[in-house]
Amino acid sequence: MRIPLSWLREYVRVDASAQEIAAALSISTAEVNGVHRVGLPGELGLFRVGHVLEAEKHPDADRLQLTSVDVGEDRPYSIVCGAWNFGAGAKVAVALPGATLPNGLTLERRKLRGQMSEGMILAEDELDLGADHSGIIVLDDALEAGTPLADVLPLVDEVLDLEATGNRADLFAVYGVAREVAALLDGELLPMPGTDPQRDGEEPVGIAIEDPAGCLRFIGRLFRDVTVGESPLWLKARLRHAGVRTISNVVDVTNYVMLALGSPLHAYDLDLLRGGLVARRARKGEKVRTLDGVERTLSAEDLVIADGERAVGLAGIMGGEETEVSATTTNVLLEAANFEPVGILRSSERHALRTEGSNRWEKGVDPHVAGPAATYATQLIVELGGARWTGAEDVQTELPEPEVIRLRPERASELMGLDVAEAEQGEILGRIGFDQVRQGFRVPTWRARDVTREVDLVEEVARFKLPEIPFTLPRRDAMFGRLTRAQRLRRLVEEALVGAGYAEAYTPTFVAEGDLRLPEPLSAEAAALRTVIYASLLEPARRNSDAGEDDVALFEIARVYREVGADLPEEHWHAAGIADGGFAEAKWAVEQIYSALGLEPAYERTNEPFLHPGKAARTGEGWLGELHPALLDGVWGVFELDLDALAEAGPQVVAFEEVSPYPEVRQDLAFVVDEDVPSAEIFAAIREAAGGLLRELEVFDEYRNPETIGEGKRSLAFRLAFGSLEGTLTDEDVAPVRASIVDALATRFDAVLRA
Amino acid sequence: MDKVAHVNPDDLEKEALAAASEARSLTALSEVRVRYLGRQSVLKLALREVRDRDTGMTLNAVRETVESALATREAELARAELEERLATERVDVTLPAQLLGPPKLRPRGTLHPSTLVRRDVEDIFLGLGYEIVDGREVETTRYNFDALGFPDWHPTRSPRASLFLDDETLLRTETSPAQIHKMEERRPPIYMVSIGRVYRRDTIDATHFPIFHQYEGLAIDKGITLADLKGTLLHVMRELYGPEREVRFRTHYFPFTEPSMEPDVSCFNCGGAGCPVCKHSGWIEMGGSGMVDPYLYEFVGWGPEEYSGFAFGMGIERTAQLRYGISGIRPFWDNDLRFLRQFR
Ligand SMILES: [Zn+2]
Repeated sequence: MRIPLSWLREYVRVDASAQEIAAALSISTAEVNGVHRVGLPGELGLFRVGHVLEAEKHPDADRLQLTSVDVGEDRPYSIVCGAWNFGAGAKVAVALPGATLPNGLTLERRKLRGQMSEGMILAEDELDLGADHSGIIVLDDALEAGTPLADVLPLVDEVLDLEATGNRADLFAVYGVAREVAALLDGELLPMPGTDPQRDGEEPVGIAIEDPAGCLRFIGRLFRDVTVGESPLWLKARLRHAGVRTISNVVDVTNYVMLALGSPLHAYDLDLLRGGLVARRARKGEKVRTLDGVERTLSAEDLVIADGERAVGLAGIMGGEETEVSATTTNVLLEAANFEPVGILRSSERHALRTEGSNRWEKGVDPHVAGPAATYATQLIVELGGARWTGAEDVQTELPEPEVIRLRPERASELMGLDVAEAEQGEILGRIGFDQVRQGFRVPTWRARDVTREVDLVEEVARFKLPEIPFTLPRRDAMFGRLTRAQRLRRLVEEALVGAGYAEAYTPTFVAEGDLRLPEPLSAEAAALRTVIYASLLEPARRNSDAGEDDVALFEIARVYREVGADLPEEHWHAAGIADGGFAEAKWAVEQIYSALGLEPAYERTNEPFLHPGKAARTGEGWLGELHPALLDGVWGVFELDLDALAEAGPQVVAFEEVSPYPEVRQDLAFVVDEDVPSAEIFAAIREAAGGLLRELEVFDEYRNPETIGEGKRSLAFRLAFGSLEGTLTDEDVAPVRASIVDALATRFDAVLRA
Repeated sequence: MDKVAHVNPDDLEKEALAAASEARSLTALSEVRVRYLGRQSVLKLALREVRDRDTGMTLNAVRETVESALATREAELARAELEERLATERVDVTLPAQLLGPPKLRPRGTLHPSTLVRRDVEDIFLGLGYEIVDGREVETTRYNFDALGFPDWHPTRSPRASLFLDDETLLRTETSPAQIHKMEERRPPIYMVSIGRVYRRDTIDATHFPIFHQYEGLAIDKGITLADLKGTLLHVMRELYGPEREVRFRTHYFPFTEPSMEPDVSCFNCGGAGCPVCKHSGWIEMGGSGMVDPYLYEFVGWGPEEYSGFAFGMGIERTAQLRYGISGIRPFWDNDLRFLRQFR
């Protein structure tokens, strides 16, 4: 909410600058996003009250007046002016040469059609006081020429941009903020504005509440002989500075009082109403055309204000177009009501219509403030519209009694970590309207919704003591931090992949299709939860590759989701990657991951529609392969592993083997086997046949040559190392082992030893 | 001329479609294309000769039908030829990568900036004795809202703000449900930080994305105070942003804390004098915090005053933005290697 400081200071006497007020509110009440100067940007001394001494038509321009104006200097100033709504003798607002207007224009002495003009006679839009440009401002005749204009008109103001939180409906009012400022800065809060003028009649109004759950209170007041017209400048300036459009005196008054006191009001053209007003639920299919010109079909849950025949407004949100106050209105019915918040919120959502009014009601406005609001608006309508106040009704449901809450001062001190004396706590609460009674503190009506428990009172004390509360750490005696096994594993996998040259990507959780659909998708591409990660990496890989990147390797570790027929889907952590270069790339990355975890997986050939059929493998925890070339241009290796499964598979402890002090015997063996015998099977067979002396085993060469080893054959070379804790092994010790390996492979795979 | 005059569009179409579906290879198909749509084809000649509108339209329709049939068949054949070729390419998937490739020698990769921040946050809290909790992402409204004291009217409960799977299930809007699960699991002392993805219905633009990452802390024990919250966050902020940082607290409102506060950190860019980073206020907003609302204790069946505690929540991306000077949210999700590789 934008709060002009001049307005705030009408309700609180306080010796503090705008900056000090903003700082105090920000810490203890609600954030002030800034203090902005509005109105004239520069030197105010060059704006004066002028007395028009002479005024006649410009000799060379039919639409201009040539005037001579006393501006309090030793000689009159000659000013050329385009307006005709004044003549000699008028008191006007003058800007002298050198003055800067709100639009940034700095005035100079200059000739207009041959006549010297020394300054400008001002219209209200030129001072940013209103929108009117039909004529210049004509001031009170009693004013003295040369009087600083700032003494007469609200030329400048400072505006606080206050961002109140949703629990504090009372801060959506200048008076509510004044109450806080008085309490924070030791100021004096003045009484609420407004006194009822003399009533001039006893007309019945005809107010009824048919839905007491939705409407707690409904005050109706009648006004006759209203002159609807422009608001005075002070009122226009206030609304303008608060960011509210000015419309007409009667409508402006309703807005002004809403901003001042926080309770929204509405004015109807009485002559367009058919009978009195009732607050009721809408009839099914009932329609109302609201002030924004939109015809709205109402639901039976919408609260409306209706006359004898139809809905004339969406209660608390927006009035109806047919009964709005216009320039021809002469009789007015003023509504000052109180509406239940949740219903207003739902209606406002249903109709996608948020207004200054609904914004306040949905936070819960104090029903007690409807009275003062009606009073203040009555005073202003009578004053500004020359109206007679002829009727009043106040229909109330049973308004809730203020609650009394007990506060244990030691409990408050305990929670804050700061000792605050009982007397001081009481004094703080007293300043913001919580009166101390025998059983505790009575909650003021404007805080009834958000202060309901002792802890809420503690907060009220704490927010005033916030800067004084010290910085301490919990006096803990039993707390231990450690990453879980799964979390450590995630870090290991991250490290392994970064080491293999992969950059970590973050891609969205959503995909176009899947079992777990969002009933209201974010977009066609983001309509379901993903079950795999790799697919989300294809697009980033393509984009980087298209950008000319020739070394693309990306990985991601994130959750996937699987519908399992339970209340909630299963969530698993997966690691997936993509790299340019084909199967070996995927294999390398997966090998790095398993080796980082101390695991040796079994790779088996597999088939997936998204993988190259001859270059795809499965491990116990996932898969890897060459991406099917139909999915993405180029040759890509991809993989995806379930990290939760990996965490289960991983060894819990390292199986340590003692290191032998004796040298090892190394031997290389190459076997010719059929092409389709997997190397891993031979590997396993060697290990099995080698027995206890085998220390190391690796496959280090693959060789094909139809002429030397035959068609459909390949040679695989293995490096073996043998050793013993007992002593140094000789070739003779190893010979039988070697023989049993050769035998075993010959029997199982028809393998022939090459060398 | 004669040939053209005798063209029967129906027969021509039938014949061409049959030829397309009978083609057994891409080479054969391209012959079919030349025969029926080539420059010297009956159809092309007829189209060139035609004068009346109706015949022209009929012939054009035939041309379009044949073209689309050829395209469909071409894709089928291409896919079949590809599959045929792939079927002949086989590797021994059990061989080590070094023998299969060898794989490319790549320079060291990088962690995402959000992961770098995440690890720092984890390490700071591990040092304070906190456990790190991942929690689940799909949650029930009971844990995501009810347990946390979100009033019925709270806008986050609306499908316009949050991502629901059904009436009672949604993608978590904050990581706090993990805290409730922990409280149900065991009694205090609880010192934990939950970290991870959270979701809201946001239209993607320079500063908004429907997914972001949060870290939320919870400390519940006997005698925890608001002063402890202030001291803890002062330590964390100094660890993250530098030892000279000051922290101040502003009153705020959150459903599950009472009292609630927003912590600000003195601007590390200007030291508090005011600059664009801190919007000229000297302070940078960090997130939310407060004392655990007694409602939560009652929710998990503890007495309202057996324990006290504090909670706070901050954004990972925001922390990364501030630390590295990244503006906007898009770089976090664009996965542009030129961006990612800078975070070594
Ligand atoms: Zn700064």
